[in-house]
Amino acid sequence: MSSLPDRYEMVIGLEVHTHLKTESKLFSPAPVRYGEAPNHSVHPVDLALPGVLPVLNERVVELAIRLGLSIHATVNPLSIFARKNYFYPDLPKGYQISQFEEPIVSDGWLEIDCERPAEGGKKKGKKKKGEAPAVERKRIGITRAHIEEDAGKSIHAAAVAGSDDSCIDLNRAGVPLLEIVSEPDLRSAEEASAYLRALRSILRYIGVSDADMEKGQFRCDANVSIREKGSDVFETRTEIKNLNSFTHVEDAIEAEALRQLELREDGEEVVQATMGYDPERRRTSVQRLKENSDDYRYFADPDLIPLRIAPDRIEAVRAELPELPEEKRARFESEYGLSAYDAGVLTASRSLADFFEATVTGCGAPKAAANWITRDVLRELKERECELEDLSLTPSILAALIGLVEAGRLTARSASQLFPDLVADGGDPETMMVERGLEAVSDAGAIDVFVDEVIAANPDVVQQVRDGDDKPLNFLMGQVMKASQGKAEPGQVRKALADKIRG
Amino acid sequence: MSQSASWLSAGLADLRAGLDRGETTASELVDACLERTEAHSGLAAVISTRGDAAREEAEAASRRLAEGTRLSVLDGVPVLLKDNIVQAGEPASCASRILEGFVSPYDAGVVERLQSAGAILVGRTNMDEFAMGSSTENSIYGPARNPWDPERACGGSSGGSAAAVAAGLVPLALGSDTGGSIRQPASFCGVVGLKPTYGRVSRWGLVAFASSLDQIGPFGRRVRDCAAMLECISGHDDRDSTSVPEPVPAWSDALTGDVEGLTIGLPEEYFVEEGVDPGVLARVREAIGEFESAGAKTVPVSLPHTQHTIATYYLIATAEASSNLARFDGVRYGRRAEKVEDLEDLYLRSRSEGFGAEVKRRIILGTFVLSAGYYDAYYGKAQRVRTLIRRDFERAFETCDLILTPTTPETAFGLGAKSGDPLSMYLSDVYTVSANLAGLPGLSLPCGLSDGMPVGLQLIGKPLDEATILRVGDAFERRTAHHESRPPEIV
Repeated sequence: MSSLPDRYEMVIGLEVHTHLKTESKLFSPAPVRYGEAPNHSVHPVDLALPGVLPVLNERVVELAIRLGLSIHATVNPLSIFARKNYFYPDLPKGYQISQFEEPIVSDGWLEIDCERPAEGGKKKGKKKKGEAPAVERKRIGITRAHIEEDAGKSIHAAAVAGSDDSCIDLNRAGVPLLEIVSEPDLRSAEEASAYLRALRSILRYIGVSDADMEKGQFRCDANVSIREKGSDVFETRTEIKNLNSFTHVEDAIEAEALRQLELREDGEEVVQATMGYDPERRRTSVQRLKENSDDYRYFADPDLIPLRIAPDRIEAVRAELPELPEEKRARFESEYGLSAYDAGVLTASRSLADFFEATVTGCGAPKAAANWITRDVLRELKERECELEDLSLTPSILAALIGLVEAGRLTARSASQLFPDLVADGGDPETMMVERGLEAVSDAGAIDVFVDEVIAANPDVVQQVRDGDDKPLNFLMGQVMKASQGKAEPGQVRKALADKIRG
Repeated sequence: MSQSASWLSAGLADLRAGLDRGETTASELVDACLERTEAHSGLAAVISTRGDAAREEAEAASRRLAEGTRLSVLDGVPVLLKDNIVQAGEPASCASRILEGFVSPYDAGVVERLQSAGAILVGRTNMDEFAMGSSTENSIYGPARNPWDPERACGGSSGGSAAAVAAGLVPLALGSDTGGSIRQPASFCGVVGLKPTYGRVSRWGLVAFASSLDQIGPFGRRVRDCAAMLECISGHDDRDSTSVPEPVPAWSDALTGDVEGLTIGLPEEYFVEEGVDPGVLARVREAIGEFESAGAKTVPVSLPHTQHTIATYYLIATAEASSNLARFDGVRYGRRAEKVEDLEDLYLRSRSEGFGAEVKRRIILGTFVLSAGYYDAYYGKAQRVRTLIRRDFERAFETCDLILTPTTPETAFGLGAKSGDPLSMYLSDVYTVSANLAGLPGLSLPCGLSDGMPVGLQLIGKPLDEATILRVGDAFERRTAHHESRPPEIV
């Protein structure tokens, strides 16, 4: 939650660098691989040997078009590769091939969920556990997305034991990137984080990037300034570089906003600068002032011809585009009658959404499936710190389990007992239910026995119900379920209790 | 001159015939080439030879020829490469200290093509450092000398290749031409040099000077020799995005000797008395007379932006060079300064010690013209003028089939005569740079002597129309004997 005083707001724009999912590099035939021995995934082009030339990987163009269409952007019919000139040991050519004045994608947007401000009150209400928060959609502009190549990695001094040498690994040099630049439309660290999640979700859905932050495939720079609410002025901003986790993004933005607030309150000015973020101290600090910034001497790369994209190429990509998170979410709400919240959770990743739909196909009970997945399956994933694919639980197993509950053959409580074993080892829920004697008791005579026992043991409570108070009925229900070891069919128990007490 | 050595200075057609009839062998030719190179080492035309490797390849070629399994017209023919064209396992220094010790792990596209045609790559030729110069004086190997007069420059930057062909060390050599670097030395040394249409020959493996202008091309004794070599090295290469996806015509077959009905454009801006050697103008006018009597028509044409070509060229070429040469940083290969203090010191000293004065001058100029605040006034404007220059040619070609000019305003100048005055050195490219700016093919061929030194005639063709300038050049050789002139002192 923002610690900025209420009269202030943040103005945030994000620059995301995401690795594209390609077999080979942007301008060389070297394969893109992670975890290779240093300098083992390189080609003379990546080493910038004398006489080598770049050749554009057309797959990258395909993926960039896909992103452009997915964020409602213009895919430009003509874009230009430019050289960004600077010296650094992990930049072998002494320039990075990027796009400058004419990017491949411009003017797009995506939508994020924001918490709706609580009505009347200023304070944002803390949501209660399990309760879906009030959300509203907010559109975030995307200025541009352009293709560029990644640099290599420098490994310095201390990292190489007993040496003060610096080492260079060029495996990453030339890996294709899209730099995606948002408008300064974000107003809080939470919004920034929500934007990143939405963008990452799209990138994964459309197969453009794995966007794995730990592997450095999805990196973020944040431009931050603060201003008084109601103002439409853009104050001096700073840029926090190289944020590589959602927590760091949120914390760094918070820290930087507070730093700027302190400067303001002390009557000092915010100076345009590049900032670094120290996660241990949770502080940002100035790395470089912008007035000393490099002159990159951009010019069109004469080794590459202008990139022309014919309209039918764009249409061909559009035809192949999968359903996007946004569309899927709307469909889940209308087709399955899910809440906006559940639909949002279930469409956060394509694999989760596919799991849900396969489960629904198997059991025909969308709401139950949504409940099981958003509650139980996600909890298991979190506890086990694993991915959906790692579970033994398949959509058909979950569907079978839900089917038993829906048919009244298994109580919710019994189903919950079976669930952890199904998650860990899989299996057939019906067989397990029978083997463990968990089949629901729906035989009226058997239920009457439990009900009579409980009525006899709780005369005071029974009297309260007779006097017209329904609340203790739940207590009596619980007692019957307990007596039946959770196997009594709850609907019948409730009916039998009501009938016997009230006559 | 030994029998084998005389084959080297014969044209390719005679040499081919001699090889095919078994009057000489590839091995004899390579031996003769190595011997002559050694004997004329004073020219500093050749900076390294592949001795044993070349001899082995020659033996293989000799066997093929004996068995009658000839790969191409170049099979068994010794060829020299300019030092900025890489060959696997060989050094490529670009005549610069900064590439000291560098050995290429890969072949240039033209090297692959020459090798699969059976040509024997005998060694590497001297040049101006990174192809920056017009005299082959800016070289760590010392200045190459003109075989016609060792006190004069052989031109540049492909001076070593031109001098080697002129001195009869090889029948054919490759050079590169960014602003005239093939045609001007060909003119100075009395041989034929061809700069193809931009994109005709792959630049894969050519160490870049100015990427949008560079083009590899052949040197030979005869126009038809250059046509044969061009056929071998041309063609689309998907490793060079600027390589044109056009078929390679059989240029040799189109050398009919017929120029009747052709219209030759004479740019009025090029035929001015001022700044042009009268002897040069006289030889070129004689050549024009030759064409007219052969049935060609001449018309005046105008290239109104001619006065801006040198400025435009030096803005664009230096800008691209400043970026292309950034990779020579002492980090991964080549020469690194010793005992550096930190990264900046490593860059500063490696590059200060590694680059020569002319290269530094151009890097600084190129860096300046791309700088924020100056880009529009210099580089941006130069790009716009380049478009105007290209249009000048398009308009001129509406009324003619090719354009004829002197290759250079004067014959070979003395060694050292211009090295203290960069601007006058730059002006020696005044007739050649426009073909690079417009991407057009240009041919230089000998058209006589002025004060005992060769004069070059330049033919500029329409884009991808090497056929016409080769046909016209060949027709000139059929009607004249200038190509038979030999440097007097060379035996």
